[in-house]
Order: sequence, then C-alpha cells, then structure tokens
Amino acid sequence: MTETITKEQPVIEELESVAIRFAGDSGDGMQLTGTQFTNTSAVLGNDISTMPDFPAEIRAPAGTLAGVSGFQVHFSSQDILTPGDAPQVLIAMNPAALKASLPELEKGGIIVVNTDAFTKQNLAKAGYKANPLEDNSLQGYQVMEVAMTTLNRNALDEFTDLSNREKDRSQNFFALGLVFWMFDRSMETTKDWLYAKFAKRPEIAAANFKAMQTGYFYGETTETFQRRYMVRPASLPAGTYRKVTGNEALAMGLVTAAQKMGKPLFYGTYPITPASDILHALAPLRNFDVRTFQAEDEIAAMGSVVGAAFGGALAVTGTSGPGVALKSEAIGLGVMLELPMIIVNVQRGGPSTGLPTKTEQSDLLQAMYGRNGESPVIIVAPASPADCFDIAIEAARLAVRAMCPAFILSEGFLANSAEPWRIPNAEDIPTIEVTHPGPMHNGDGPFLPYLRNEETLARPWAIPGTPGLEHRVGGLSKAPNTGNVSYDPAHNEQMNRERAEKVARLANAIPEQDVFGPKRGDLLVVSWGGPYGVVRSAVQRAQREGKSVAHAQLRYINPLPRNFKELLGRYKHVLVPEMNNGQLAMLLRGKLDVNVISYTNMTARPMKIANVKAKIDEILG
Amino acid sequence: MSTATTEIQLTRKDFVSDQTVRWCPGCGDYAILAQMQKVMPELGIPKEKIVFVSGIGCSSRFPYYMDTYGVHSIHGRAPTLATGLAVSNPELCIWVITGDGDGLSIGGNHLIHAIRRNVNLNIILFNNRIYGLTKGQYSPTSRQGKVTKSSPMGSIEQPLNPIALALAAEATFVARSIDAHTQHLEETLRRAAEHPGTSFVEIYQNCVIFNPNEWDGLSDRSVRDDNILYLEHGMPMVFGKDRNKGIRLNGFTPEVVELGNGIEEGDLLIHDATSTQLAFILSSMEYPQFPAPMGVIRDVRKPDYVSQLMGQVQTAQAQRGVGDLNKLYRAADLWTVNEREDVAAKVAGELSLDMDEEYVDNLDKADMDATTQVQDQLIESSIADLNPHVPITIDVQSSLERATRQLNLHNIGCLLVTDARDQLVGIFTERDVLMKVAGLVDDLSDAKVADYMTPSPVTIKPDQPIAQALHLMSVHGFRHLPLVDEQGHPTGIISSRDVVAYLNQAVN
Repeated sequence: MTETITKEQPVIEELESVAIRFAGDSGDGMQLTGTQFTNTSAVLGNDISTMPDFPAEIRAPAGTLAGVSGFQVHFSSQDILTPGDAPQVLIAMNPAALKASLPELEKGGIIVVNTDAFTKQNLAKAGYKANPLEDNSLQGYQVMEVAMTTLNRNALDEFTDLSNREKDRSQNFFALGLVFWMFDRSMETTKDWLYAKFAKRPEIAAANFKAMQTGYFYGETTETFQRRYMVRPASLPAGTYRKVTGNEALAMGLVTAAQKMGKPLFYGTYPITPASDILHALAPLRNFDVRTFQAEDEIAAMGSVVGAAFGGALAVTGTSGPGVALKSEAIGLGVMLELPMIIVNVQRGGPSTGLPTKTEQSDLLQAMYGRNGESPVIIVAPASPADCFDIAIEAARLAVRAMCPAFILSEGFLANSAEPWRIPNAEDIPTIEVTHPGPMHNGDGPFLPYLRNEETLARPWAIPGTPGLEHRVGGLSKAPNTGNVSYDPAHNEQMNRERAEKVARLANAIPEQDVFGPKRGDLLVVSWGGPYGVVRSAVQRAQREGKSVAHAQLRYINPLPRNFKELLGRYKHVLVPEMNNGQLAMLLRGKLDVNVISYTNMTARPMKIANVKAKIDEILG
Repeated sequence: MSTATTEIQLTRKDFVSDQTVRWCPGCGDYAILAQMQKVMPELGIPKEKIVFVSGIGCSSRFPYYMDTYGVHSIHGRAPTLATGLAVSNPELCIWVITGDGDGLSIGGNHLIHAIRRNVNLNIILFNNRIYGLTKGQYSPTSRQGKVTKSSPMGSIEQPLNPIALALAAEATFVARSIDAHTQHLEETLRRAAEHPGTSFVEIYQNCVIFNPNEWDGLSDRSVRDDNILYLEHGMPMVFGKDRNKGIRLNGFTPEVVELGNGIEEGDLLIHDATSTQLAFILSSMEYPQFPAPMGVIRDVRKPDYVSQLMGQVQTAQAQRGVGDLNKLYRAADLWTVNEREDVAAKVAGELSLDMDEEYVDNLDKADMDATTQVQDQLIESSIADLNPHVPITIDVQSSLERATRQLNLHNIGCLLVTDARDQLVGIFTERDVLMKVAGLVDDLSDAKVADYMTPSPVTIKPDQPIAQALHLMSVHGFRHLPLVDEQGHPTGIISSRDVVAYLNQAVN
C-alpha cells in the first residue's frame, strides 16, 4: 500500500446566504436537527430565520406524506427577514420527505438523500411509482446519495448495547454532521448540547456525537461532495444576542411588562396549538411571581383573566382563533367592565379547526368586531419573532392607559420561527405607569368607579381590598360616573361613544407610522404581522430596480397611527398583501375611505418574496 | 398618618348598598340577602376584603345589593372570574352567588372544576328548580314530569342532584339550607365562611311566581320539622317535631324508623361530616321519600388552590431567588457581536484543518521564531511613529447627506462617528458609500449615518507596535484604524497607505 492518495480539497465557495431544509418523518428528529444547525449558525454570527413545519398529527404513519416533518433555516451574512423563499439545499431522510419538499426546492439546488430509506415499501408509501433516484426525474438538481443508515450503523458498531433501532435514531445526527461539514460549521455547540442533554446517559451522548462525527468525516473523506460553502457572519448591530422564537419572546415580554408594572403576571389559558408554548415558557417562572392557571376550557380561561384584572394583576390569556371564538363573551365583559387585560391570539389556519400547525392572519376582523354589541378593543401585531417581546410590553402599556382589553395578533409562523434577538438591558426598559385610587374615608364623597380621566377617558382601576372604594361592576348597561345599572337611552349612547373614543385617543400615545423608502411616490405596500420580512424584501428588490415603492409595516391596528390616512394619500397606489381574504384591506377601505389593492394568500404557508414582487411589478407596469 | 387601626364595629347596615332591590315581592332571595347582610359583620373581615361575584339570573343580581366589592358577570362563568380574582388577590373573602340554571346548566363545567381545585370560595347556589329570569322554563333540577312553559307535557329529563355533584367533584365543604328557615340559613352561611377552600351551599329557594309550591313541606313552620333532618356532626340522626324519628342504615340503604318499640338512638346513624360514604348516602335522601338533610353534610380540610400556588411562588423564590429579568433574557446560547471582523476571525480560526497541517509541516523546516530586521523594526516602532492624522469626526445623529459631504469636503476615505459624549461609536468609509448607500438610498437627508456605519470599530493605541496595525489590516482587511484615548475619544487615524509608506521606507 504505497499508493499515495492525493485527494483534492473541495472548493470552498462563499455565499451570501443559504436556505436549508431538513425533512424526514416526524419521528426522525428533524426539528432537533434544524434547531441545532440554527444554534450553531447563530453562535457563529450569521443572521438567521427559521421555519419549522410539522404535521398536525403528532404520529402520522411513518413514511407517508402526512408524516413529513420539516425545518427550514435561512442563514446569511446579510440582514435577513424571512426563512427564505425556496431552499437551495434539501436533506431528505426518506422518499416522502423528498416528494413533499421537492416542489419548494430551488432549481439546480442540492439534494442529499438517505438512499437506505428508498426501499420499495417507502417509495410506495410516498406514492412514487418509480424510484426518483433512478428515473432521471431529479435531473437539474445536484443529488448526493448517501447510505446514511448503513454508514451510521457501521459507525456505531462499538455501541453494543444499542439495538439497530436505537442506532437509527441517531441518523439525524449523521445528517447534521454532514451538513456541518458542507457549510463549514463547527460541531462544538451541538457536542456541548448533547453532553449536557444526556448528562445522565453519556453513552447516548457518545453515540449521537459519534454519528455526527461520522457524517462530518464522511463529507471530509468522500469525493461525493465537490463543494463546500461558507457564509460569513452578518454585520448585526453590536450587542449580546440570543435566538428567540415568537412565543419565547412573547412570554419574556409579558413577564417584563408585569415587572415593569410592579404586578404579578396572571396567565389564564387553555392549551391550544400554536399558543401552548407561551404557557410552557411561563409556567416555570414562579420566582417572577408568574401565576399561571390552566383552566378547564377557553371560556374559563377568559373569565379568570377578567377576574384577575379586577383583582389588580397584569391579566393575560393566550389562545388561537377557535379559542377566541369561545372567549368572545367574556372579552365583551372585559370591555364593559373597562379593565386592562391582554388576549394573545396566535393565529392559525381557519376556519373552524382549520390547520392548527400552519399560519394565517385570518382573525383580524374577529379581533376587531367578533363580539356582540359595539365592543372596541386595542389591537397590536408583532412584525417578527423578536418583535413579540416589544409588542407584549406595548400591549400592556396601552391596555392600562385606556383600561381596555388589548389583542396581540401573533401568528403560528411568528410563534415558531426564530431569529437573533439583541438582548436588552432590563433596566433600560421604561416602567409602565399604573395608578390605583387610594383609600377613601367617610366624607370623602362617594367613589365614582366610572369617572373618566379627562385626557385618556380611562376609568379608575380600584382594587378590591382598598377601604372605602367598595363598588359593583357588571355587564349591564351603565350610568356614567357611578356605573350603576341604567337603561337610560342617553346613558347607553354616551358610554358606547366614550368606550370607542378612549381607544381612538390611544393614537396620541403611539408613534406615527414610518415608511421604508420614499416619503411619497407611486406605491406604498402596507403589511401587518408575519409577512413583514417577505414584503420588506420584495420592496427592497423593487427599490433596487429604481421603482418608487415604499413599505409601511403596521404594528398598531386599533387605533391606527394618527398620520396613517394622510400617509396613504401620498402614494398613487396602496397595496395590502396579507394571509387572509383581504381583512386589513377591508378595514382600511371602511375606516379611512381609501382605495387599496388587496393581495391575498390563503395557502396557510408564508408568502413568497417573488410573488409579492411580481404583484408590485404588475401594479407599476 | 394618625389612622389608628381601631377595630370598627360593622353592622348589618354597612352591607346594604344604595341600590333598590328589584326581586319580585315574596321572592326567597330577600331572606337570603337579609341573612347574608346579618352574617357579614360577624365574620370579623373588613368589608373592603369581601367580594361578591355572580353570573346571570335572578339570584345573580345579588352583588348589586351588597355594599362590598362585586362583579355581576356573564352567564355561568362566575366561578371562573372568582378563581382568577382569588389567584390575583389571595387576601380576599370571595362569595359566588349562582342558581340552578347558572351554576348547573350553562356553568356546570366551571362549578365542578372550581370545587375540585378547592379554590377558597364560598359558592352559594340558589335552587328554585325553575328558570325565573327567562320566565318559567324547566331547569336542570326540575323534577321529572314538571309542567312548565317549555315542557307543557311534563319534563322528561332526569334532574341533577347538586349535593351529589359537589361530592363527586371532591368538595371539601358541602351544606344545604332553606330560605324560609332564617336561623338555620344564617348558621350555615357562617360555617361556609369559616371553611378554608371551596364551600358549597345549596339553598332551597322559593320562586314565588313560577314555582311557588316547590318547597311547601319544608318551609311551612307547622310541618317542616317533620320533614327536615337537621345534621349535627357526632350526633345521631334524629328528626321530627317530637324528635321521635330517626335514620337507620339497613345494609347500604338508609331507612326512616320510629324511636321506641326496641329502637333506640344508639341504633341510628351518627352524623360524621368527614365521612365520604355517609355524605353520598345523605345526598341520596330526597324529600318526600326521606326527610331533607339540612346543615353541614361534609366538612374536611385539604390544601386550597391559591395557598398551594403561592406556596410554589415562595418555594421558587427561595430556591432560585426572586426573578431577575436580565438572567431570564440570557438563559440561552449567547453570542456577542463587537463588530463584524472579530467574529469572522474566530470562524477562520476554527474551520481549517489544512492550516494545522501546514503549520505542522513548517515546524521542521525553518526556525519559526527568528525574525527579520524589518520585522524587528515593525515591532519596535509604535503607531505614534506613523504620525497619525487628525481624525474628521461626525455626530452619530447626522444624516448620510452630511456624512458624504464631509468625505468629499475633506477628500478623505473615512469618518469617525461619535456620540454625544464624543466617544467613538462607529466608522463610516467610502466603502460603506459604495456598498450600502450608492444607488440604494433615495433620500440621503432622511437616512442616518448610524444605520450605515460599521459600529464599534476595532481601534488601536499610539503606543502599540506598527506590527499590530499591520496584522489587523492584513487579517481583517481594514483600511483604516482609529486611535482612541482612555475615555474612548478619537485622537487620530492611520490608514493602510500610511503603513505601506512606512514599510516602503523600512525595506529600502
């Protein structure tokens, strides 16, 4: 064996950004694999954006299209705003994963497949009549065939205590190691994680690490892969960063808001996808005086929130559209009692049970009008996962200022997606001013629970336990000032107007709407919520082509920013892309009497930059 | 601050609100309201700590008439509001007023869950076996065959047994009383108030309009003592005007027996309010087949919900310390961005296995430590020898327009960006103009230099060797290096041109 192997080092190609999609069975650990890759990229300083995509059925039959679980991560040396339109790289652990993800993949993209999973049986389950690896149907892609199962089992030979089944479970780490190699990432972060995670079972940690190393060295030593890729760190503003999902950021924002009010956080909720992770994030925070309450149903959750608001806590519930439907009556009571509270709606695909694990923005009008009677509420919407932190604090501030329920309209996409978050200093976050009337004694005159503040029209927040302020509130129509039950027609008119007016006056307490791009011009694109990144990217592309296009991201929907109507008037056209059948467009037409072009998407999957860009081009001709 | 906490003696009147009571004349609710207002001052609880919460229905008007805190909420949901209130404000004494429709029909779910959680609430259920507010439909407790507006041929539904339901939900306190027997009612309400955890009290209440004869045999003073079994813990179950009847257990089945003829008190059941089994037997005894059991059926102690929850808060704070937001934010994998190049260098260091091999190969070739004369000179001379230029600075708040004008005006490639304290916060170069500004920013006057500069640039000190500058420039590709003093104020700038000029001089 004197032969010298002169192995050519693969070319390292530098890319600005890459989107990778990991796809496999829901039991294959794809979410874990994607998360580990994301963490490593984040620690290396790339800007990241991720989108998990898991099946609604927790255990759909293995190998079928229904059971495909995916995780897309987009990492870049530039500021990125979306998980990427079309991934350039697909890691497919079985035929179903290939079939489900192929339509998304960029033409000419790289496909890494586990050939061991391409058995007759699996091909049939995925609905393939012929093996796509053999019938030339993947022409036009760079296909890397890797016998992952075999390689992995062989590598784990030394772990005699593990069955083949158990060994196969670490296959995802083999794939991860290979991708780490391809994209020039270090295995350290994941290695640390493995040994911390399996501290009590070091042999499991060792087996998974071995699988990952094997994948890494497979890339290193075989000649299958002619290229490696490198994505430089992004130039994010200086600071300390972590990765957050929307639900994590929201939970931290709520805790922060409560602390900044000097209040306990009461979180009354009933588990529902995709909002439950907020409860999971808050429940361990008892040392922050977080009082979570898992109610018997959605209605009870909302009732408990109204009660807790009356009791003087920062009272919050989290749910999704079907839960809001059940909560409507109690939210109406919150409006009538004029108490501050927050309703988080992590929107999912609808109507009815709809698509619990997918994303949509179809509950805007439900939040706005989905109650009996005239029932105005505050509505805010986060633009990105990290923005969920700020929006939670903002919702609390506005709810307290106006003594009114506030909706946070998050989305499944924002809730589960991750992005880097520049960690703030808690001391720099302003306190939320809360005033409670103090005790009254005989002769101080009657306490008037509905005597309004002249500036804000808010009523006093009198807490049970305060001597002399004993008063009764209820859902019946009221007289001004005393709040006593009144059927007087003039009283009903006045109180309805005042409840609407106090929400409208919050426009004085929120920033004016800003725009990205020219202050006047041919087209303004108005978006709200999760499509922020897609729309911003599409507008940027159009701007680079010299088009007169600006972007306004609405974070405040009720009330709208005070300059909003005037702003819309400065552009020849206004385009409103949203993931519903035109709800914000309808609201703007109705409330502001403006003509807007609606662009809708009801696929329950995030919009594509290319599609929004095409719409912009179409309008501007 | 001379408000000495002298115990103010409250009276019944202190609990009467200024609202006119609007129940039908003769309604049983009046009697319950009167007894509640009578019991309140005797509990020794300041009235600002008392809250009445109700749902919808005739009985749910109750809070308006009590001069305490109160919420008249929505149909069936009073236990949910009361639970949230108790959790947010554990000091309060909370009463839930509900009825057979509100509590057992629309709100049945909430009732059982509040009870099973043992939230510290006093739940008072007014049972008149009819819907009053909606004018006379049958309720979930209406007897089978009951003719009402919505059951003209008689109700075909099996009625609910409220006491059995509360027991099935593991209630820790279950009692029953009746509106007409004011003394008994007063005593029952007091016992309910004293019990920690959920107290569930069913009150037989007369609807004078839609179901006037429901409780005839139990409310009429002349006959009621023959039809009511007054329960007292530890006492034999004797009843009757002449106290000549009792309840005996025959197998699992209770039976009514007459005392005498060989049957003595010792043969009768002894009431035990801690016995689950006995409570179920009592719940099954319905008038008129049996005397109606009245009084405290069950009274046991278990930890209540809110105490346990607050106990967890205290334990968590003792174990982990009172929550610190900064720690919460940082409980994840963190990374710090000083400026772009720093991180890039770290990656480059980690990735290349080739580099290590090259290093190893070179080890046995040359004496790695030997330096050339030029190298020595670069190490010995300091940055100060380069005669750094005076820097042109610009305020971080400035517009891009001003920044580019400054670049042109001074014919330089780089501006140092400073904050209000004149400390260096960024660097803005002609390269930034090329890469980020030219053709991309429409309105230079509207854009801030802060958004386009490179923040927190790498700096160098005058006493550091020129080799250090050369190293930074070659590794990171910098063309400019700012000099700052100890306070972070910019004092000078060197460019790659300066270093090249120096090198040229040194080599020649």
